[in-house]
Amino acid sequence: MVPFLQEMKTRLGDNDDFIVQRVFLLDSPVILMGFKSMLDFVQTKSNLLEYIEQSFPEGKTIDEVIKQLSNSGTIGIEEAISAITAGNLLIYDEKTKQRAIVNPVSRLLTRSIESPTTENILHGGISSFNEDIDTNIGMMRKQFNSSHLETKLYSCGSMQKSRLAVLYIKDQIDMKLVKQVVSKIESNLDKELNHTQDVSKMMGFYSKELIPKFNTTELPQEAVNALRKGRIVLFLDRLPFALVLPSLLWDMFIHDNDKNLPPPITVALRMLRLLGVLVTLIMPGLYVALVSVNPEVLRIELALSIAQSREGVPYPAFIEIVLMLIVLEMTLEASVRLPASIGPTVTMVGGIILGQAVVTAQLVSNLLIIILAVTTIANSTVVGVQNSLAIRFFKYVIVVLASIFGVFGIVSAVVFVCAYLAGVNTFGISYLYIPRTEKVGGNHE
Amino acid sequence: MNKSMHVITMYILSHLGFMFFVYPDNVISSTEEGHWVPILVGCIVHLLVIWTYMKGLSYFPGKNIIEIYSKAGRIASLLFLGPAALYIVGMIIVMIRAFSEIMTIVFLSNTPLWAIMAVKIGIMIYIASKGGEAIFRIGILIALLFLPVVMIMFFSSFQNVDWRYLFPLLTKDFSFLTRRSFYESFFAFGGGFLFLGFAQPHFSYSSKRVLISVLCVIPFFFLAAYVPLLTFGHATANTLHYPYIVTMDSVHVNWLMFDRLTMFFLLSLDAFLMLFLGLMLWMAICISKRYLPLFKSYHLGAISIIIFCVCLMIPEWEVVEKLFWWIAVLRIYVFLTVPISILLLGLRSKGKGIRKSA
Repeated sequence: MVPFLQEMKTRLGDNDDFIVQRVFLLDSPVILMGFKSMLDFVQTKSNLLEYIEQSFPEGKTIDEVIKQLSNSGTIGIEEAISAITAGNLLIYDEKTKQRAIVNPVSRLLTRSIESPTTENILHGGISSFNEDIDTNIGMMRKQFNSSHLETKLYSCGSMQKSRLAVLYIKDQIDMKLVKQVVSKIESNLDKELNHTQDVSKMMGFYSKELIPKFNTTELPQEAVNALRKGRIVLFLDRLPFALVLPSLLWDMFIHDNDKNLPPPITVALRMLRLLGVLVTLIMPGLYVALVSVNPEVLRIELALSIAQSREGVPYPAFIEIVLMLIVLEMTLEASVRLPASIGPTVTMVGGIILGQAVVTAQLVSNLLIIILAVTTIANSTVVGVQNSLAIRFFKYVIVVLASIFGVFGIVSAVVFVCAYLAGVNTFGISYLYIPRTEKVGGNHE
Repeated sequence: MNKSMHVITMYILSHLGFMFFVYPDNVISSTEEGHWVPILVGCIVHLLVIWTYMKGLSYFPGKNIIEIYSKAGRIASLLFLGPAALYIVGMIIVMIRAFSEIMTIVFLSNTPLWAIMAVKIGIMIYIASKGGEAIFRIGILIALLFLPVVMIMFFSSFQNVDWRYLFPLLTKDFSFLTRRSFYESFFAFGGGFLFLGFAQPHFSYSSKRVLISVLCVIPFFFLAAYVPLLTFGHATANTLHYPYIVTMDSVHVNWLMFDRLTMFFLLSLDAFLMLFLGLMLWMAICISKRYLPLFKSYHLGAISIIIFCVCLMIPEWEVVEKLFWWIAVLRIYVFLTVPISILLLGLRSKGKGIRKSA
């Protein structure tokens, strides 16, 4: 046995899907190595033979062919192993000890390009990113056909290798931002990357921030729009979305696809989303404040009808609303978890049984159910599910303060939320920054 | 880059925040007729002071007043920044105390005063801890959210106006110059201008635009005093504690489901004030960090605790009024000396620069 082969077998031989096969190429024996779970061996072999037949003149020896195939120098053990685990085929010539890494016919391990699962599009392109980083970058190139698009690829992690891509448009971006991002990546190349949290740790972001530093999107169109506005797009292998850096408040309201509609409609839609966020934040708090602290603000008729609807409800408005809000959050969470076939059950149980029965049993007031419905609907107007989460969270801050200080509590809490949002910044770019021209970051607002 | 927008917003918000509370009361009680005269005098002084201040600051591009004074020497900083810092802290105390009291009077009658003050101080600390740049940005957000509310309420306050109360227009009575309430009315003018000197390293602004925004705010000074006058007449308005707020209370808007517009008006102004208090606190911390470099990270906490304790120690409204007067004296000192000294320092440094280049 040859040491290289021996070493390979001891390192990878415990895997039952690891194949070491002796075949004859150009009448001399070579050894092929690879994972049969990742590559189609039969196809690869026949393609390889065909390729050699077609591309090399008669009379070439296997020695020369392998040399040609491995355009890099000698391949060490580590490199060979990482190539094999990445799904490549290794050709090893026992006689000359030459090695070559070949791109095989791999098994189809990635889904094809599909429509987005979390971002619905009304009027625009519906292909979305998938788990394969190369497909994603390719989609970006397809969407933004220009030589100005630059891509940097990094392989991160010490134990488990994952690829990270950084994309930006050369003339649109502030190179300072790119330098900061790249230097953070390069100094943390040994970190394992599995989630966006890992990426944000790599970037050195404060981890207790409620607002994500990345805006995530599944749509190439959105991602390219971000690039055009002078932002950076990151792709992490096996994550089916783009990470747009820095994230901005206006991502919640602005969707690039809006521009496929007439401009006044675009503006109206965006205002609607803004209103949605305000309603989500303020409505539950306002209910608590008006019912339990400042009922005198309301018109007397309205105050009376609210009081009437709350007749027989045994606990204070704060408890009432927090209980129902939590049930509502659970319904939302449950409808994400459940398979599509059982999903409607939750809707029915939540909507009919909870909504109707809870009022009939006089556990909560009619008005509260309306408020909850409005809140939930309004919360969903935000662009991107991940953006609505922070809003959902802030809602509780407002409810708590409103229950103590009434309407004054709401205003204080809104000021607090404003202060929080204004304090968030990514690499010196404020969360509230509006990319007015096609450039962000140059002026670090 | 020019960030005039942020500075202007801050200026407008802070002045709108003050002018509807004590200012109408002060103006109304300062004279019996021709109220526009004291208002006009106040506005002209205000404009002059701001112009002087910005003119002086323009000789030091990219520097805030702390840097300017510390360059001019210890005595100058002690003479001008010391009172300014004292004034800022005093102002914060009086404002928190006074506006918490208004809150309890108007709509939180069951909530203890300390709790309201605690929330206000908490928010103020939070805003101040975000630092200068963020404060100006918060201003933009708050303006977007609350300024429309304030404007709608403001225009609805004309509902019960009787224009005949405008007369007599002419007056030969200048006795307001001797009255205390006239000088107290500078509360509305003198409160906000100092921050223009702190904006510089973060935000550069064009002084012309700030002056234009000053001109835009001036009508509001007139209307803040004149709306109660036109609604109730001088004799009645003079007896009211917060004439504008009471006027607001008398407004009835048919299509609104709320009965009391005052509350929303007050609360929106309160949002402006909390922002402004945060800004003031940040300014105070900037000064104290520069001159008391010990315990660098505890300044915010220490100053806030002092403020809270003093606020708690004020037992009743009379004391607030007394404090108000003391601060009015301090304010007039700051109001006059800081802009003039900055202008003089600016002229001196310019003279030096010319001599050097020659």
